[in-house]
Amino acid sequence: MGIRWQHLAAWAVFIIFMLALPEFVSKGTLRTIIFANFLAIFAISWDVLSGRTGYISFGHPFLIGIGAYTSAILSYRFGFPIALSIPLAVVAAMIGGTLFFLPALRIRGSYFALVTLAFMELMYQLVQVIRPDITGGTRGISGVETITRGAVNNFYLSFCLMALVAFSMWLLMKSRLGTALSAIGMNEESVRGSGLDTTKLKLAAFMIAAFVAGLGGAFYVHYLGSIAPRALFDINFLFTIIVAALIGGASTIIGPMIGAFFLTFLLEYLRPVLPGAERYFIYGGIALILYMYQPKGIYEVAKQGWGRIQAARAGAGS
Amino acid sequence: MSYPLELRDVVKRFGGLTATDNMSFRVEDGESLGLIGPNGAGKTTIFSLIMGEHRQTSGSILCNGEDISALPTYARIGRGVCRTYQVPRPFADMDVMENIRLGLMPNNLWQMLVRGPNHDREIELALSVGFAEGDLKRHPAELSMGDLRKLELARTLATGPSIMLLDEVFAGLTAGEISQIAELINQKRKEGMTLIIVSHDLKSLEPLIDRAIAMNYGAIVAEGDFAHVMADPDVRAAYLGGE
Ligand SMILES: Nc1ncnc2c1ncn2[C@@H]1O[C@H](COP(=O)(O)OP(=O)(O)OP(=O)(O)O)[C@@H](O)[C@H]1O
Ligand SMILES: [Mg+2]
Repeated sequence: MGIRWQHLAAWAVFIIFMLALPEFVSKGTLRTIIFANFLAIFAISWDVLSGRTGYISFGHPFLIGIGAYTSAILSYRFGFPIALSIPLAVVAAMIGGTLFFLPALRIRGSYFALVTLAFMELMYQLVQVIRPDITGGTRGISGVETITRGAVNNFYLSFCLMALVAFSMWLLMKSRLGTALSAIGMNEESVRGSGLDTTKLKLAAFMIAAFVAGLGGAFYVHYLGSIAPRALFDINFLFTIIVAALIGGASTIIGPMIGAFFLTFLLEYLRPVLPGAERYFIYGGIALILYMYQPKGIYEVAKQGWGRIQAARAGAGS
Repeated sequence: MSYPLELRDVVKRFGGLTATDNMSFRVEDGESLGLIGPNGAGKTTIFSLIMGEHRQTSGSILCNGEDISALPTYARIGRGVCRTYQVPRPFADMDVMENIRLGLMPNNLWQMLVRGPNHDREIELALSVGFAEGDLKRHPAELSMGDLRKLELARTLATGPSIMLLDEVFAGLTAGEISQIAELINQKRKEGMTLIIVSHDLKSLEPLIDRAIAMNYGAIVAEGDFAHVMADPDVRAAYLGGE
């Protein structure tokens, strides 16, 4: 698929729209969008590993958690500057993640999902028990240094981070490496039969995903200013990430972004009506219906709709 | 003297079933060897063992004198051995060119990142196995069995093999497609490719091979030139009993 000027124009309009947004919307809406930006980063990370290779990760909060906790602990307990704690957090997410996931990369399908889920649960327990004087135990840590203040600044920061992640992942996945990762999701035996070391490829996918998750997690904790195990190693958080990638459109970069914004706003608009956990029930239902209607996600629905409009215009013109 | 491919006393057991029973044979450089036998004889298993997709219970497999028994599949492909599958295994959401792209990829992450795909080579390979220009953007779901076998051949050829193992290349094809693929195989023979071909279609196989090995229950029944093998009473019994 070539890059047409329409694509570039659409992206330019989108970026200008986002940059101008703080002029038009409330601080509350901006805060919602900030969360959507972070969710998009997490969903893109999930998609690079699971959407492409088909190895479904149920442990993404584990990676995000390593990034968030490492940076929070380094800066809050040991006085590291954020400019140093974030890169170290990213490295920690990649190393910690690799050590734990390496054995799991050899097992397929639902077992991989289960093992990764176990790691998330394990992390939840460990954080509370081991050295609570450092991790803050059940309560977590609050008063973590923030990078900038105010909804507007944080909106710009999170948007730039998300755009940067999206663009670099798009470049990466456009390469032959991206093609090979998608091929693993379609038929791993044939990738091996094409002379490629699939373990190495999956490890690469995993490292890239861990990099993005760790980066997102570290920035997220310095936005929130606090961290608690309950909020992070949470099954609802996990499913929000996965559902965002799936209903937006797995195996694309724009899909997880669309999904993240869609879900965040859906949850936000449901809040006044359904303040409790029932919200997740409703949103689960909506996601399921969307997914059954078009497993390739909202992005595909939009593309087909656009195609129909074009076809109708061409028909009317002739 | 080393051979492109040599099996020494190879045994493969699946639980209680002996799929390969002490097989030993060699393939000469540039030779085309036909491997025949009734269903379940163990032909495909031999291919899987040579590629390292299954590991033999005992015995060794040598490629150009080197014992490759412990090597992973990609390393064997790196040494120039490659196979096609009885049931084609394309990448469903990729078009013909993208499917071939995978075979062309070097097993090197950095190269995969910094170098883009070689479209000219992809097209060249697709056309060389008999695809038309109009097929290049087609997806596997739109292809006939003959086209799927061509695609499999193209992806295999893309890995740059010197030894090709072809499993049931003629199954499910029309007469026209059979002659097209036979012509391609003959061309590869002329170029010096070493081949092992498995086929139930003996009539199409005969002109493509220098020598045949007939096997049954995982063991060699007869070996030699095609007419000699087919005249063997045990081979006849195996075919009549097996089909
Ligand atoms: N993965 C496996 N696990 C258990 N048994 C297997 C496996 N693969 C093959 N077999 C058995 O090994 C024997 C040989 O099978 P193989 O596929 O090699 O035969 P074949 O000669 O290729 O037959 P066909 O002509 O039907 O393709 C069969 O009895 C088969 O059931
Ligand atoms: Mg077979």
